[in-house]
Amino acid sequence: MNYMILLPVVLPVIVGFALLFLHEGVFRDRRGLLKVTGVSFAVSAALALYVISGAAGDRLILFRLVDDIPVYFAVDDLGRLFAGVVVAVFLLAGFFSFVYMSHEKNEKRYYSFYLITFGVLMGLCFAGNLVTLYLFYEFMTLASMPLVIHNGSKEAVMAALKYLFYSFCGAYMALFGIYFLYRYAIVFENPGDALNGTHYYEIAHMMGFVPGGSLDMAAVVESGNATLCLVAVFLMLVGFGVKAGCFPLQAWLPTAHPVAPAPASAFLSGIIVKGGILAIIRTVYYCVGVDFLRGTWVQTVWCILAVITLLMGSSLAFKEKILKKRLAYSTVSNLSYILLGLSMMNAAAFTGSLLHVVFHALIKSGLFLFAGALIFGTGRVKVKEFAGLGKKMPVLFWSYTICSLGLIGIPPTSGVISKWYLAEGCLESGIAGLSWIGPVALLASALLTAGYLLPLAVNGFLKAPLDEEALDKYREPAPCMLVPVVVLAAATLLLGVFPTPLMEFVGGIAAALK
Amino acid sequence: MILGLMLTVILLPFAGGGLLQLIKFKEKRSKQCFIFAYVLANTLLTYILLAQGPTDIIRIINFAGAKLNFSLKIDGMGIVFGGLVATLWPLATLYSFPYMEHEHNGRVHENIFYLFYTATYGVTLGIAMSGNMLTMYCFYELLTLVTVPLVMNTLTHEAVLASRKYFYYSLGGAAFAFIGLIFLIVYGDSLSFIFGGVLTPDAMRDKKDLLLFIYVLAFMGFGVKAAVCPFNSWLPQAGVAPTPVTALLHAVAVVKSGAFAIMRLTYYSFGVDFLRGTWAQYLLLCIVIFTIVYGCSMAVKETHIKRRLAFSTISNLSYILFGVLIMTPLGLVGALCHMVFHGVMKICSFFCAGAMITQAHANFVHEIDGMARRMPKIFGIYTVSALALMGVPGLCGFVSKWHLAKAAFQSGNPLAVVGVGGLLVSALLTAIYMLSIVIRAYFPGDQFDYGKLHDDIHDPDWRMLLPLFLFVGAMFVIGVHSAPLVDFFTSVAGGML
Repeated sequence: MNYMILLPVVLPVIVGFALLFLHEGVFRDRRGLLKVTGVSFAVSAALALYVISGAAGDRLILFRLVDDIPVYFAVDDLGRLFAGVVVAVFLLAGFFSFVYMSHEKNEKRYYSFYLITFGVLMGLCFAGNLVTLYLFYEFMTLASMPLVIHNGSKEAVMAALKYLFYSFCGAYMALFGIYFLYRYAIVFENPGDALNGTHYYEIAHMMGFVPGGSLDMAAVVESGNATLCLVAVFLMLVGFGVKAGCFPLQAWLPTAHPVAPAPASAFLSGIIVKGGILAIIRTVYYCVGVDFLRGTWVQTVWCILAVITLLMGSSLAFKEKILKKRLAYSTVSNLSYILLGLSMMNAAAFTGSLLHVVFHALIKSGLFLFAGALIFGTGRVKVKEFAGLGKKMPVLFWSYTICSLGLIGIPPTSGVISKWYLAEGCLESGIAGLSWIGPVALLASALLTAGYLLPLAVNGFLKAPLDEEALDKYREPAPCMLVPVVVLAAATLLLGVFPTPLMEFVGGIAAALK
Repeated sequence: MILGLMLTVILLPFAGGGLLQLIKFKEKRSKQCFIFAYVLANTLLTYILLAQGPTDIIRIINFAGAKLNFSLKIDGMGIVFGGLVATLWPLATLYSFPYMEHEHNGRVHENIFYLFYTATYGVTLGIAMSGNMLTMYCFYELLTLVTVPLVMNTLTHEAVLASRKYFYYSLGGAAFAFIGLIFLIVYGDSLSFIFGGVLTPDAMRDKKDLLLFIYVLAFMGFGVKAAVCPFNSWLPQAGVAPTPVTALLHAVAVVKSGAFAIMRLTYYSFGVDFLRGTWAQYLLLCIVIFTIVYGCSMAVKETHIKRRLAFSTISNLSYILFGVLIMTPLGLVGALCHMVFHGVMKICSFFCAGAMITQAHANFVHEIDGMARRMPKIFGIYTVSALALMGVPGLCGFVSKWHLAKAAFQSGNPLAVVGVGGLLVSALLTAIYMLSIVIRAYFPGDQFDYGKLHDDIHDPDWRMLLPLFLFVGAMFVIGVHSAPLVDFFTSVAGGML
C-alpha cells in the first residue's frame, strides 16, 4: 500500500489543527509563529511534490466509506497538473502572507486554516473516485470558509454565510447526481486486476475515474433512465459549477473573495475555484464520459450558461470600481472560459481549458497579490486611487502589467495560447450557433478584460497622482511581498514564450481521453 | 430465563423509580448514584438480553381467542431499537444530574421527575420487545401516560398547555392506531409481528381499498408520535420540558417509538408486498416528503434554539418514514440507519443546547453571540453534530442519507426520486439553520464586546461533557466505518433476524 500518498493530505491538516488548538502563548513572538508555519509550508509542499513526482506510487485504497465505495486515491496526470498549480500558488501566497498578515488579527488561525485547506486540496487533486472527491469537496468549503470570514466584520460574516450556503447548495445538487450514478458504476469482477494488483474486495464498484468514463452508460439507456441521467449530470454540472462561479449561482464569488485577506483572496480566486473545475472534469470526462453527453441538451445549456457567465463577469468587472471586487468578477468570467472549453467536449478545447486553468491560477493570484501589496502599502482600495503610483513602484506595476497582458491574451504572454486553443476548440465543435458565438464571446471578453485591467497600469505610470505629498512615502513593497508577484509575472511571460513542455503534458492528458 | 430477563428490564426502572420515592437520601450525590446505578444495571441487563439474539414469540397472557394475547419477543428490529435506547439512557441520565441542579426555578420535582424519566426507559424497551400489535399498543399508550408528567414537570402555564396538547395529540393518534389494530384482528391471520405481513390472502383480494385506507389511518395515528405533518405541532411546544427530556425522549425514545411502530405496522403487519405501488404508498410518500421540507423550513424560521432543533427533528423523523415508505428492504436499511444515527446526532445537539441554557442562560439564537470563546468544547461538539446532521461525508449523517437515496433510486418509484430531492433541499436548509448558530458563536462581528459576556460562563463539568464526547466519537466512527452496523441492518431488513 502506498500510504505515502496520504502524507501531503494528512500532515498539513494535522499541523493546521495543532496550530489552531495551541495556546497563543506558546510562541514567544510573531517570529516564532512564522518559523513554525514557514517550516510546515515548506514540508507540506515538499511532500506534495514528492507525490506529484510519482515516487510515492499512484494508488491507495483506504477503508470503505459507504457500501463498497472506498476512500480511494489515485495519482494521475490530471491530478498532478492541478496539484502542481496548487503547490505553486500555495507557496507564493503563503510567503506573501508572512508580511501581509502582520496587519491582521488572529494570524495563527489564518495559517491553520490555510494549511488545512492545502491538505484538503491535495486530497481533492488525488481523489480517485467520485465519493472521495465529494468528501474533499465538502471539506474544502468548510476549511476555506474561515479564510473568507477572517477579519470578523459583519460584512465578512455575511459573505462567509453566502459562500457556505451557495457552496452547500451546489454540493447537494452534485450529490443528487452521485446518488443516481452510483447504480451504474461498473462492477469489477476482479478489481485486483482492474487496479493493477492492489488488493481489493472480490467484487466491487467504486465510481472510480477512468479516462473516457467509468460508468455503464449502456445500462442507463437500457433501464430507460436516460433523461433522468441527463438531469442528474446537469445538476452535477450546475452544482460543482457553483464553486467555479458559473451562472446562475455565481453571486457568492464577488462577495466572498474580496473580503478575505489578499493572500487568501489569491488562493481562493486562483485555486479553490479550480476545485469546482476539477470536479466537473472528473464527472464529465472521467465518470460519465463525453460520448453520452455530446449533442444532448445538457451540452447546449452548459455552453450557453458559460457564454452568459463569461460576458456577464467581464462586463461587471468593467463597471466595478474597487480593485479586488473587479478581480473577483474577472475570475467569474475567466472560469467560464474554462467551462466553455470543457463544454465543447473535444481535445483542442479541453487542452485550452486545462492550459487556462494553469495560466489563470498563476495570473489571478498574481493580480490579487498585487492588489494586496497596494492595499497593504497605501490603504487604498479603489482603482482610480492608484493613479501615479507606478512611478514609485515600477517593479510592482510592471509585474501587474505583464499579468494583465496575460489575462487579456496578448503575445508573448501565456494567456494567448490557452485562448487560441479554446477558440479553435469552439470552432471545431460544430455545435450550431455556439461554435462561432463562443469565439466571439471570447474576443468580446478579451476586449473588456483590456478595458478593466489596463487603465490601472496606464494611469499608474502616466497619470498624475491624487495627492502629490502622500506620494513620497510610498515605495516598493517589502521583498516578501514583491517577490511572489514578480515570480508569477515571470511565470506568465515564460509560459508564454516556452509553452512546449506544458502543452505536451496537457496534450497527453487530452489524448488519453480518446 | 429469557422471559424473566425481559420482564426484569421492563420493570426494573419502575421499581427503581418507586424505591427512589421511599428512600430518604441524605445527600444529593448518593441519590444520583442510586439512580445511575439502576439505569446502568438495566442497560447491562438489556445488553445481555439482546445478545441472546432473536427469540420466538413468548406468550405471557392469553385473552379471549387465539389472536389476542400479550406476548414479547426479540427480533432484529427490537435489537436495533432496544440497543439504541439502552445505550443512550444512562448517558442521558448522567447528563441530567448537573442539568437538573441548574434548573433554577425551583419548581422541579426531582424525585417525581426521575420516577417517570426512568419508567419511560422500561416502557420503551417494552415497545422494542413487543411480540404483537396488541402488546405494542398497550406499551404505546403507557408511553404517553408516563411521559406527560415529564413535560408538565415545571408546572408553569406553558408546560401545562404543552403537556395537554401532547396528551390529546397522542391519545388521538393512538385511537387511529387502534382502528388499525381492530382491522388486523379481523382480517389478519394473527396479530403477531411476522416479517412480510399477516393479512389473509382473501382480505387482501376483496378488501384492498378498505385495508389501504385503514393502513393510512393507522400510519397517521402512529405518525402523531413521529410528528408527521399535520400532527407535528405538539413536538416543538413540548420543548418546554427540561433538556434531558427533550433530548432523549423528544429526539429519540418517544418519537422513534412512533417510527418504530410504523415500521412494525408496514413490514410486519400489513406487509410491503401488499402496500407497494398502491395509492396509499404514494399518498403517504407525499405527506412525508412535505414534512421533510416543512420541518426544515420552520427550523430556519425559528429563533428559539430548542424549538429549532425540535423542528429539525420533525424533518429527520420523516427521513426515517421516507425510508420505510420506499417499501423495499433497502429502504428499511436506510430507515434503520437514520433511526440510530439521527438518535446520536440529535441527542448530541440537544445536549449542547441544554448546556448553553444551563451555563449561559441562552435560549435564543441571538443570545449566543460570541459564546464559543467561553465554551469552546460545547461549541466544538455542536459544530460536529451540525456537520453530521447536514450529511458531511466522514460523519454518520452521510451514511444514512446515502442508504436512503440509494434505496429511493433503486426502487424505481418516481416519487422516491422526488423524495431524494426533498432530502437534499432539507440538507441545505439544515446547513442554514445549524451553521448560522455556529457562525454566530464563533464570529459575532468585529464590533462585539466580549466583556459583555458574564465571567461565569464556561464549559460544563464532566458529567455533561462525557456523554457528548462519546457521541462525537460515535459519529466519527460510524461515519468512517459503518459496514458492520449496515450489514446488521441489512440482515434485519431482509427478514433474517
